[in-house]
Amino acid sequence: MSDVMIRAENVSMTFRTRTGELGAVEDFSLQVDRGEVVCIVGASGCGKSTLLNMVAGFLRPTAGRILLEGKEITAVEPRCGMIFQNYALFPWMTVRGNVAFGPRLRGLSKKECNRKAQHWIERVGLQGFEQAYPGELSGGMQQRVALCRALANEPEVLLCDEPFAALDAMTRQIMQQELLRIVQDSAKTVLFITHSIDEALILSDRLVVMSARPGRVKAVYNNDLPRPRKLDVQLTDRFLKLKRQVWDLVQEEVMGAMVLPVNTT
Amino acid sequence: MRDKELELWRLIVFGAIGLVGFIGLWELVVRLGFIDPFFLPAPSQVVQRMQQLAVGPDAVLWRDIRVSAIRVLTGFFLSILVGVPCGLIMGVNPVIRAALNPIISIIRPLPALSWIPLSMLWLGIDEQQKYAIVFMGCFASVLVYTTDATMGVDPTLTLAARNLGATRMQVLRYVVLPGALPNILSGLKVVLAIAWTCVISAEMVGANSGLGFRIWTAKEWSDTGQVLVGMLSISLTVLLLDILFRGVERLLVPWRKGGSAA
Repeated sequence: MSDVMIRAENVSMTFRTRTGELGAVEDFSLQVDRGEVVCIVGASGCGKSTLLNMVAGFLRPTAGRILLEGKEITAVEPRCGMIFQNYALFPWMTVRGNVAFGPRLRGLSKKECNRKAQHWIERVGLQGFEQAYPGELSGGMQQRVALCRALANEPEVLLCDEPFAALDAMTRQIMQQELLRIVQDSAKTVLFITHSIDEALILSDRLVVMSARPGRVKAVYNNDLPRPRKLDVQLTDRFLKLKRQVWDLVQEEVMGAMVLPVNTT
Repeated sequence: MRDKELELWRLIVFGAIGLVGFIGLWELVVRLGFIDPFFLPAPSQVVQRMQQLAVGPDAVLWRDIRVSAIRVLTGFFLSILVGVPCGLIMGVNPVIRAALNPIISIIRPLPALSWIPLSMLWLGIDEQQKYAIVFMGCFASVLVYTTDATMGVDPTLTLAARNLGATRMQVLRYVVLPGALPNILSGLKVVLAIAWTCVISAEMVGANSGLGFRIWTAKEWSDTGQVLVGMLSISLTVLLLDILFRGVERLLVPWRKGGSAA
């Protein structure tokens, strides 16, 4: 049976700026089922981060609504754990402190918090670094900590805002593998934003291509690459064929976006 | 880009050469009679005078240092106690910030000296008056440094904490305060030096103890040696407090080993 986790209904978001109104997202509708991994691909500035911020409850749509398990999201939503591109770790907390932060907020005992933290720290292979501060870790390790921190809070949904964009190509592949493993194990619902078609194809069950700003759904692909997947899936013919299809479409949008004034999302 | 830093031992050696050279030159010009010791006593004479004031039956120096330091620290901590929470709230709340900013802009440029007449009228020349002068001289700066530090905290960190389920109070306690702490502490270091200028001014105008008083009375008696002893004592005490403060900083901000800005 299909069990709807997130449902965006005709969502629009308009920002007021000095030069007038700026439509970031327009009439965007999408449904994500429980346990599904949906990747949203689009050019820079197409409003994909804005969309994610609305699902997290950081922003309220100017029109339409977003439902989580059938209820409208009206405030910051801890059931949707966010992974930020710049990690957003608390620099004054150790790795353990960061990971245990969510459980601590919920008033769990110190012992219980540490147990939960330790579980996830070991799960992503960070044991031995519990007492390190984020500033002492590499980018890849910091993003592991961020992943840990989100997971230790036991969210229903993982929201990923280009989490691997700042990593070098090698580390990025390792992190994709890591995320693939965790997602496949835990059957988490994931909404993942990226501008990398490869990344989207490796990770997703479904792939949504967004148009240039204001962001709309341009196309949806069912990614039928077999699961469980490993990174070598990107060497298969089926992968390349899908990539070609998506690429043609995205290229059109990238070209379209390039003539627009460049702006940050 | 900063110029290349010297290694530690070179820093110490060159620093020592500079210091010894300066003192030696000073001693020389006084000894050779270029300067009348009445106007500027030689370093050796200053040290001698310091000995007289520091040891012996009527040693007043330690008491003066203690009295001044207590005044400074009391006023300084009072200004932290009020200024830091207010600054945090101003930093996170744009409405309160907008409402209070004009008032602070009026108070902040006032030198501590200008508060002396009013404070004497209200509080006499007791200790409270000294605390009040230091407080008035520090408070606005503490507030502004804290507000700026608070506004400088990465907003993504606040979002991350909210996303993990933190309430607004929890964000303030667990994210904004520790996030702003390094810059608050750097600000407080500057304010601590301001506090000393406040207390010395206050003591020169109306007091019967403290380093400021000691310097002022020495001038009345044309005891330039004692004036210089008082000035030197201020320098040394401030230096010592600064070192202590750095220790506290290291204790409170252990994640910043390099001391670089985030």
